[in-house]
Amino acid sequence: MKLAVFVSDFKLASDTLDRLKADKLGIIFVANGVYHATTKENGKASHLLEKTPNLYAMSEDIQTRGMKDADVDKRVRVVNYGDVVDLIFNEYDKTAWL
Amino acid sequence: MATLTIGCFPGLVGNMTYDFALKLAEAAVNKGHKVNIWFSGNAVGSVKAHQKHLKDYSTGEKHLKALIEKGVEICTCEACTVARGIQKPEGIEKVQWNAMHWYLAKIHASDRVLQIGGE
Repeated sequence: MKLAVFVSDFKLASDTLDRLKADKLGIIFVANGVYHATTKENGKASHLLEKTPNLYAMSEDIQTRGMKDADVDKRVRVVNYGDVVDLIFNEYDKTAWL
Repeated sequence: MATLTIGCFPGLVGNMTYDFALKLAEAAVNKGHKVNIWFSGNAVGSVKAHQKHLKDYSTGEKHLKALIEKGVEICTCEACTVARGIQKPEGIEKVQWNAMHWYLAKIHASDRVLQIGGE
């Protein structure tokens, strides 16, 4: 199964995400979830960035929070809503929202 | 063209995930896809007509009407809606009112499903 998980929260998503298994896992950071892609705590990036090489973050949600696309970790691809539609239909079979 | 069904369960006005659902629906329909939206829980409040659109404060009515004009099917959970004191004559025109079987039928007929929120 190719699974795309929308992570919309900065603190509460990790436990559930750890339990999800997929042949291909994608993580799409949206809303407050984009802090995973932009913010380091105690000098360390979010451990979610180690879960999969398929990482995406919503540009609009980054900018809404006063950050820039350039603030995003290099492992994460910045996407817009149109890109997310293409990911849903072309890259993944199932979606989940956390 | 493929079909995307979005189940939207969180609250309405000012809710970030509600805004996400509508923007994703718009992006999908603009790419030529068929989109269905099911409102349940507190999201059903968004189908009430005559919402006041305040500056810098997101509301659904204008957005919902625009999506309907583009062919998006929007349905509210009738039980959730009347339970919150909203009657059908007060609703936005062309929004459908139905029961959970509408959502299940759309899920069954869709290529992709995204359910947002819920307790």
